[in-house]
Amino acid sequence: MSEKSRGLSKVEEICSQRSGRAKELKDEGKKIMGYFCIYPPLEMLSALDLLPYRILGDMREPITKADACLPTVVCPFDRSALDLGLKGKYDFLDGVVWAHVCEVGEKTAHVWRTYLNPAYFHFVDIPHTIHKPAQNQFVQQLKDFQKTLMSFTGKKLTSEMLVEAINAHNEQRSLVRKLYDLRKPDPPLISGSEVIKTLKAIMSLPVKEGSELLREVISEVGERKDGVPFRPVRLLIWGSIIDDTPLIEMMEELGANVVMDDTCVGSRAFFPDVKLTPDPLEGLAYRYLVDLKCPRTFKESTYGETKKDYLTDLRSRFSYISDYAKEWKVSGVVLQSVRYCDIHGYEVPGLGDYLDSVGLPHTYIEHTYDERSLAPLRTRIQAFLEIIRS
Amino acid sequence: MAEEKKKKAIDRLKAMYPLRARIDEVYKNSVKAMREGKPTAWSMVNWWEGDPIIMAMGVEAVYPENYGAACAAAGAAPAYLERAGADGFPDHICGYARNCIGYTARMKDLGEIPPEAPMGGMPKPVLLMSAGSLCDARYKWFQALGRYLDAPVWVLELPHLGVKEGLMEGAYDQAIRFMVEELREFVGFLEKLLGKKMDWDKLEDISNDIIDMNRIWYETNELRKARPCPMHSRDFWTCMTGCLYPAGDLKALKKMYQDLYDEVKYRVENKIAACPNEKYRLVFAELPPWHSLKFFDRLAERGWSFVVESWAYHPPKPIDLSQVKDPLERIAKFTYQWFAGYFEESEKQGEQMGYFGYPYLEYARDWQCDGALLHPLLSCRTATNHLMYVQDRLIQKLNVPSLVASGDIVDLTLFDPEDTLRRAEAFEETMDHYKEVRKKEGLGW
Amino acid sequence: MTWYFAGVDIGSTMTKVVIMSDGGDICSQVIGPTGAEHRRLANRVMQEALDRAKLSFPEISYVVATGYGRLNVPFADSEITELTCHAKGVASLFPEVKTAIDIGGQDAKGLKIKSGKLIDFVMNNKCAAGTGRFLEVTAATLGLRLEDLGTISAKSTHRVKISSTCTIFAQQEIVSRLSEGVAVEDVVAGLHDAIAVRVVGMTRRLKIEPVVVLTGGVAKNTGVVKAVREKIEHEVFVPPNPLLSGAIGGAILGRDIVLGALKEGKPIPKKERALEEVTFFN
Repeated sequence: MSEKSRGLSKVEEICSQRSGRAKELKDEGKKIMGYFCIYPPLEMLSALDLLPYRILGDMREPITKADACLPTVVCPFDRSALDLGLKGKYDFLDGVVWAHVCEVGEKTAHVWRTYLNPAYFHFVDIPHTIHKPAQNQFVQQLKDFQKTLMSFTGKKLTSEMLVEAINAHNEQRSLVRKLYDLRKPDPPLISGSEVIKTLKAIMSLPVKEGSELLREVISEVGERKDGVPFRPVRLLIWGSIIDDTPLIEMMEELGANVVMDDTCVGSRAFFPDVKLTPDPLEGLAYRYLVDLKCPRTFKESTYGETKKDYLTDLRSRFSYISDYAKEWKVSGVVLQSVRYCDIHGYEVPGLGDYLDSVGLPHTYIEHTYDERSLAPLRTRIQAFLEIIRS
Repeated sequence: MAEEKKKKAIDRLKAMYPLRARIDEVYKNSVKAMREGKPTAWSMVNWWEGDPIIMAMGVEAVYPENYGAACAAAGAAPAYLERAGADGFPDHICGYARNCIGYTARMKDLGEIPPEAPMGGMPKPVLLMSAGSLCDARYKWFQALGRYLDAPVWVLELPHLGVKEGLMEGAYDQAIRFMVEELREFVGFLEKLLGKKMDWDKLEDISNDIIDMNRIWYETNELRKARPCPMHSRDFWTCMTGCLYPAGDLKALKKMYQDLYDEVKYRVENKIAACPNEKYRLVFAELPPWHSLKFFDRLAERGWSFVVESWAYHPPKPIDLSQVKDPLERIAKFTYQWFAGYFEESEKQGEQMGYFGYPYLEYARDWQCDGALLHPLLSCRTATNHLMYVQDRLIQKLNVPSLVASGDIVDLTLFDPEDTLRRAEAFEETMDHYKEVRKKEGLGW
Repeated sequence: MTWYFAGVDIGSTMTKVVIMSDGGDICSQVIGPTGAEHRRLANRVMQEALDRAKLSFPEISYVVATGYGRLNVPFADSEITELTCHAKGVASLFPEVKTAIDIGGQDAKGLKIKSGKLIDFVMNNKCAAGTGRFLEVTAATLGLRLEDLGTISAKSTHRVKISSTCTIFAQQEIVSRLSEGVAVEDVVAGLHDAIAVRVVGMTRRLKIEPVVVLTGGVAKNTGVVKAVREKIEHEVFVPPNPLLSGAIGGAILGRDIVLGALKEGKPIPKKERALEEVTFFN
């Protein structure tokens, strides 16, 4: 990696060879810990001086090896990630931590463990609700995770180390929020594609290096003269993981700036902070179980309420999206999901009802994660933009 | 010329018939009770975690998953599936869920049970008892029903630890503690909802009956390890419902399971086979083609005896709960045992998928199976996505081959029994071959 | 002075061109083959439309390209989706329309229209079932011509139920039905029914409201129209030339763009364009 590159050009470099920095650090003796999805608490990894490296797929790589392990009718993102693992693309990881993010994710964890047999693997269970007993259970799960981590690294994890890591990650989160603030002007100072690439890059770096990169990007886009062009429509994109740019680029090409997101290589991963609590694991557990906004967790408007009012329920689950829409001045919401995703699939009608209730135009698109599946969406997206503009 | 009476390919257990009749009767009584105003809960199959609790509080359970199968068999599913699609639900989500969503939407439109609904339909519930066990649809689906029903949703929690993680010190106790706390919350919630107090004695009684009944049922299935196998999978699938969906007079039901056990034991002692022509012993995964079970008779004619099946439907390996005072703790341990009961063995064998996966290795080995029949379902991914893994583990570790026959839970046209029968002969050769391989490797069968 | 606008709907098999004056009169309308390979013949269809209208290409103030092949049309000023164009075209013919169903050769669309504008849509462009392709394939299997299907199915007395949702399996199914002795008109009526089920089922996601219009090439098939009418509790109207809705809509949208620019005193957003062959690469 070039020593001189900074900011967005460094982001490009990293995205073209994501594991570059991790491999450099590995040669220097650092251990690299892969993690799947946004639920494994990264602070616990950083505190033990492990590099948290997000396991992603590759939408340009045809899935071949994973077909021997998982049927084609399951989440194509999971299959892609597993496929890359089976092809050796994640062999540089010293260990992997997975979490019970969804049913297929859970099975994929066991498949990964069986066929890749990493030196270290830990599966963190996540309760389905956010009830108090569930929060306690998740704390216990993190305690067990801590045990195996300490055994693996041979180091003791103290509260002080955790607090330091929490502060470092919270700092990074505040920088991401600053980056997102730059999407508020019209046109935004940073494009949707640039944001995804930046986040992907920082998900491949140690937390402090990631923060440094964020500072460079923020400063660079704040000052540049010919940044993002004005486009007549401002979109928020919601749904399952988008870990690469082709879909966003298609929208930009068709005349929309994607100025906000509710996805997990996006705001979902970074927005809530960890609150410091006397036992830091409790603050961590709360942030990751309760505060993260992923539909895999069952949330209800009033815990144990015996009567259910539909609109109240919808508001409690989705009002943050209309808050985003207001703050980022969004003119339409694109609901997107990979095919076979139950977690997001079941949400679509309810979320549609909610967006209708607040007058936000929306459309639903489904794809199979790979690049080729995006072309048929072109007409749909363009027609949606034509509707918003008319 | 006298016609020879055709010998039945599968000798069904005599005790199965009254048990099946009893289960049907209990169901009819349940429908009647609901029509007469007994509070109803729509329930996911929850593996005894929630059923005893609502039973003890006088709530009748209906199971929309099962209702989906009934609608599919009656040809009523397509209209409900279409309605779910029209209401914006993606077509890849669970067939049973879409069927239920379509049914519920229609019920909301009409303000009453749709007249065309098969088997009297499902009445409007006071509670949607959801579960986090195994698949995500089972709580997302009920959450989505909020569009049509104002019934509250309760999600029963079941920890899903990995094998290694589940065996860590303290993990089990903590998982149980979590479940018990949640169940206590659930009881409090129900008391508020129904305006009455939990009958703890009744709960004690019901949970004990369920645990005991399942123990008898477990031991019955253990007897199927014998050669020749005394009981076919068809009898398993018919008889399991009484244990999995406990209802009505449990003591009377328990007695019928005892009769079943006695008959199977008798068969073992007298070497009476379920398939008189037993040549091949097979394990089946996962959900059977409910509408086409006669297909197994035709395989039985070829000598295929299905001796074990469907991990998800099997009762838990019995554990000693006699010292456990709190019925909620007993329920929690019992349900958790169903999920994690194979973990210790799984760990010993170096297997990572302690549920859905490793159990099939144990089944194939201990029930001495020559092959597996795997049944992927288009719209039930949870019962499908581990089958390739199972296929691989069976051949890698035990040299047991698998035959795959696809189908679906609601689109019954997708299952082609003829196609499987056409491939049967070739698969028999495969099974013969691997029998030799296993012999050479010193595996017992 | 009269202004002229053109809508060019480049479908997978047929290109439709409509030239319209600012008064709303249609000066010419032509349907011709798109041609294989890079839509090479679309410009010829355009030329024919110009000839019939007795106009030269520079006299057209604005050209809107729409349809499957709308990208990289060197003689268009802008490209607008067929969803928006069909909605506009149908609304010009049926001002009260609220729901339109367009069954094309390769795709099917449901359009929700309010006050003449597209406000929502559903689309199937991934699966042949429920599109003209379904009929093309099955008609070929039966050895029949597409244009005869409507009259043949009118003779049906015992319509067959085709249970396969997939075109390939439907082919197998109709072959076995025929071999059982089922009359061909009953099979064809069954195919029409199958397509109607798919398309109406898809459109129900928009909540079908009257006035309902059926358009697109397949709407010329009287059998399909009948089958769709049976599935919808409202009256279903069909334009006199259902293939042209997209091109009509395109021309109207071109007119709106130009008149809108003139009204606001802004320059007309035209492009440098010449009547050349359509290519993949610009």
